[in-house]
Amino acid sequence: MTDLMIEATEVTKSFGTVKALDGVSIQVPKGTVLGLLGHNGAGKTTLVNILTTLMSPTSGHATVAGLDVMRHGDQVRSRIGLTGQFAAVDENLSGVDNLVLIARLLGASRKQAKDRAGELLATFDLSEAATRLAKTYSGGMRRRLDLAASLVGRPDVIFLDEPTTGLDPLSRIGLWEIVEGLVGDGTTVLLTTQYLEEADRLADSITVLSKGRVVAAGTAAQLKAEVGQRTVSVVLANPDDAVTALDALSRAGLHPMHDRSRNSIASPVAKSTDLATVVRALDEAGVEVGELALSEPTLDDVYLAVNSEAPAA
Amino acid sequence: MTTTISTAPAVDQDKPGRPSGWHGSSFVTQVWVLTARSMNAFWRDPRMLFFSLLQPLVMLLLFSQVFGGLSKLGGLDQYGDYINYLLPSTLVTTTMTAAMSSGVGLLTEMSNGVIARFRSMPISLFSVLLARSLSDIVRMGIQLLVMLVAAALLFGFRPAGGVMGVVGALAVSLVVGWGLSWLFLAIATWVKKPETMQAVAFLTMFPLMFASSAYMPPSTMPSWVQAVATVNPLSYAVYASRGLATTIWESPAVQTLTASLAISLVIAAVGGWIATRNFRRTT
Repeated sequence: MTDLMIEATEVTKSFGTVKALDGVSIQVPKGTVLGLLGHNGAGKTTLVNILTTLMSPTSGHATVAGLDVMRHGDQVRSRIGLTGQFAAVDENLSGVDNLVLIARLLGASRKQAKDRAGELLATFDLSEAATRLAKTYSGGMRRRLDLAASLVGRPDVIFLDEPTTGLDPLSRIGLWEIVEGLVGDGTTVLLTTQYLEEADRLADSITVLSKGRVVAAGTAAQLKAEVGQRTVSVVLANPDDAVTALDALSRAGLHPMHDRSRNSIASPVAKSTDLATVVRALDEAGVEVGELALSEPTLDDVYLAVNSEAPAA
Repeated sequence: MTTTISTAPAVDQDKPGRPSGWHGSSFVTQVWVLTARSMNAFWRDPRMLFFSLLQPLVMLLLFSQVFGGLSKLGGLDQYGDYINYLLPSTLVTTTMTAAMSSGVGLLTEMSNGVIARFRSMPISLFSVLLARSLSDIVRMGIQLLVMLVAAALLFGFRPAGGVMGVVGALAVSLVVGWGLSWLFLAIATWVKKPETMQAVAFLTMFPLMFASSAYMPPSTMPSWVQAVATVNPLSYAVYASRGLATTIWESPAVQTLTASLAISLVIAAVGGWIATRNFRRTT
């Protein structure tokens, strides 16, 4: 039985003559993560704003937890948590006071609010900084506090709008682990991101938005299959080896291309075992490798694959 | 848990472990918690505190020095020192600048995401706005008290109405300021950008401030400015404040008081309705 926690049907949103959303439909089953992938201006935040009742759609229909976002706004708001692009914490309050504030607004007693705040601060590794003002927090700590604030009421559905933008790699991984934990507890998540890697790691299914339209949708694996492959690039230690290397890789069944200016050879690979094929082929041909790198497809590659009119990023 | 999931929207499907009743606190709690939050920002920022208290003093110093010679003009000598004429009206105009900062403050919070969080929560947005206006009125009250004490100690403010009269003037000024804060909150939710807000606010504020009886008796003004000053709601507030403090009423006391309070409440009601409506969902 499908139990959809988020459903948008043909949602459009116009700002004057600009169509921010042009007939977007998504479905997110309970306990799963939908990754909404797209560049700035693709319409991700607009869709989040409509689903979180901050904005009315121009046309179309949307429900969250089975509740119409237009007709049952208040009930929707008591089921969701929102972590926006800017860490929405009160800088002049301490970490614990920020969470107590939210809990009190949700209807908790002073005691309940304190307990819940303490619980969340511990989960988010902020206990030590609990009594410090939020303005003294680092970017990663603020994000964690912000996410904690959106979880105070134990929402069924949480919306994360570019939760890791501007975070250092370590904080980013920390946040990913937190999101994975939430999903493990049965929470439904809609996550927007500009990074394919992030969607790949967290999302059960991915919807790619471009200029307000859904240009691709599916699992990470399906999208990658559409995009094509990862790329191995080899920087040659000796430029004279180029022809030998191209020859060796072609014989190994790959389609290498020579980049003269960088003195490198790039070849799309389908599976990770192909990396070994590349290394072996070059080794057997006696080509000395300067650098070897495997690059993941990026959002741009997805765009290029699904939409020839992709914006130049 | 049952295995069937109800599709009726009104039925709440609580997850086990969700605290019962955490679906929004009472209106009073919301307003109280949010007002305390806004006040906290005021205390936490010593520089803001210092300058917002300094501002009315500087205004007072400037006006009393620049316009001090006016007391020799006809019509003003009955007040004794010009400060007695000036201060009750400065109470009113200061609340207007504070009311304006209410709108600017709201926009600042709207831009940093805190307001978006509140808007995505099951709470009344009117309470968010009301808390803002209430915390601003408390701030205004503190500003005005500092100003009154300084005026009495440093500028020889000795109005005929005595302490009770001055307290009355203070109360009227705060009600008027509170009403005006709703005007600026409504403007804020309409223009949405702090820069535009500043421009619109100054355009609203200065004509209201100067084409009124605040600094000069309207009888000294050209007839068309006089006409504006007569219908300017701020004039009533100034007359009321000055009447209470100095016991010299430039227009009938009861009518003036009623008019200034009624106008403030109307502005608050209309502004409150517009602001809450604009605030709910952007279209």
